Amino acid sequence: MNIKHIILAAAVCSTFVATEDTASAEGRRLNELKEAPAVRHRRLLVSGRFEFTPLFESTINADFRHIIGGGAKLEYHLGDKFSIGGIVVGSTALNTKLVDRIIPTLEPAVDNMTREPSQDEFNLRLNTMPLHGAAYASLTPWYGKLAAFGQAYVAFDFYFQAGLAFAQLKSDCPDSICNDPSPGITNPATMAPPDLNPNNDDPLNSGSRLGLYLGGGIHVFLNDFIALDLTFRDYAFGDNPSGADVSGPRDGPDGAVTKDDNRFVHHLFFGAGVSIMFPTKVKRTN
Amino acid sequence: MGGDEKPATPPADPGEIDMGAEDPKPGDLATDMANADKANASVSSGPARKTPLSWSDIITVVRKPFLKVRRTELYPFVGTTMNDNMVRHYTVGGELAYYLTDVLAVGVEGMYYQRAFREPFDLVARQARRLPTVNEYKWSAALNFHYVPVYGKFAVLDKRIVTWEVQFVAGIGAGQSQVIPRDTKFPGFSNFLIQPNVGAGMRFFLAKWITINAGVRDYIFIDKFEPTNREVGMNETAEAAKKNADSAFINNVMFQIGVSFWLPTSFEYTTFR
Repeated sequence: MNIKHIILAAAVCSTFVATEDTASAEGRRLNELKEAPAVRHRRLLVSGRFEFTPLFESTINADFRHIIGGGAKLEYHLGDKFSIGGIVVGSTALNTKLVDRIIPTLEPAVDNMTREPSQDEFNLRLNTMPLHGAAYASLTPWYGKLAAFGQAYVAFDFYFQAGLAFAQLKSDCPDSICNDPSPGITNPATMAPPDLNPNNDDPLNSGSRLGLYLGGGIHVFLNDFIALDLTFRDYAFGDNPSGADVSGPRDGPDGAVTKDDNRFVHHLFFGAGVSIMFPTKVKRTN
Repeated sequence: MGGDEKPATPPADPGEIDMGAEDPKPGDLATDMANADKANASVSSGPARKTPLSWSDIITVVRKPFLKVRRTELYPFVGTTMNDNMVRHYTVGGELAYYLTDVLAVGVEGMYYQRAFREPFDLVARQARRLPTVNEYKWSAALNFHYVPVYGKFAVLDKRIVTWEVQFVAGIGAGQSQVIPRDTKFPGFSNFLIQPNVGAGMRFFLAKWITINAGVRDYIFIDKFEPTNREVGMNETAEAAKKNADSAFINNVMFQIGVSFWLPTSFEYTTFR
């Protein structure tokens, strides 16, 4: 390569770089609003505020028992998008239509000669959820305003939550029903073989549970400090709502209710509440 | 603000623009005097008080970024059952809607169903020794009316403004259900269903010709189920079973989500900005 080629290559390169610089410079000729915020003088409806929400919550499409209750949510909004909080709900339980249809068809008294459970064996094994809740972090990526019927203009935001769920489960199976001392195994005291009857086993579906919490919802602000709060929540943890023999170590029922019958169950809830923001006076962006 | 001064006499034609060029015509003196007195009475001799302007006093009305009037929406969607803990149906379907105005539309929809049993279906059979009586749905179609009363916009992570709206739907249609026999040696039977429906949904505008839709629809009908007493010699045939079938009022609530395509793919505003 002689000196001419080097000079030519350098000239081509510098031309290319110059062209690139010109193109970049032209690309920088942007509207002065380019760096401006998307929304000016926006009310900071959540940033730096505590949110206290008395709420009502109910399961969606529960299999055996509807869990219905009331509670409260307390949240602190670190900024406009991120917040941390917790929710606690106390609940009662109502039989689903499925349970109401099954129970009258079952035998009224216990008969261990049949595989069919009695009404009490079926009903008293179902568990309830007197207390549940979650601790979570929340992201609010969307906010805006809407017009309803061309009359009401209100602000709203969508939020998503994830965290740790907890629940207190309870089942009331008395000793007269759940009286198998050694479900699924040979009784070590009497050496009696397993009865393979899950209807008299302890349902093993009470006690405390920890799991995963996911949620998503919407705030609709009625004024600067009160908002309607609608949320779908999923409390997922190990549970066996029916107290039934669902599976064994090798899949499929094994004739006994054991810890293997607890599985990761999603408990879907819909909640509605009224959020009150503290302090009640709202700030604005520039 | 200066923009809220009203002319003394409104134009005769509401659509006519008042140019303000003509001199005011002589009017009733008594009325003019009374107006002058009223104006003088409002003048106070004390220090002027400034009324602070609040942002809530300013209402910003922007032009709708998306027009639907005289456009056709082609909406393919998928759906799933929300309220049946025995059998879940998945659907694929489509809707064709024509917008008579920006908030009212009429459309036709059709759906094909595919079923999947949920855990309680097997669990009840194993635990309670009871075979559930369930029907599966095969297809449905409906004539629907849409009303869009709510629209709004939101910012996504402070970067992009997205417009959305809420629509309500009501309609009337038909469908078919099929009995799933508890004992497979007996034949099932099918039912023709009259299905009113109501629902609500949201629509998010991505471009002039495409939107994302999601919503919930409740299909309401009376279905016929396999009779509980079915054995050899009793309700053995499909006709006999259907004749003695148990009827029940059903709410089939479905979640639907899909992408809408709009024709024509663009639109023009007919009013000034």
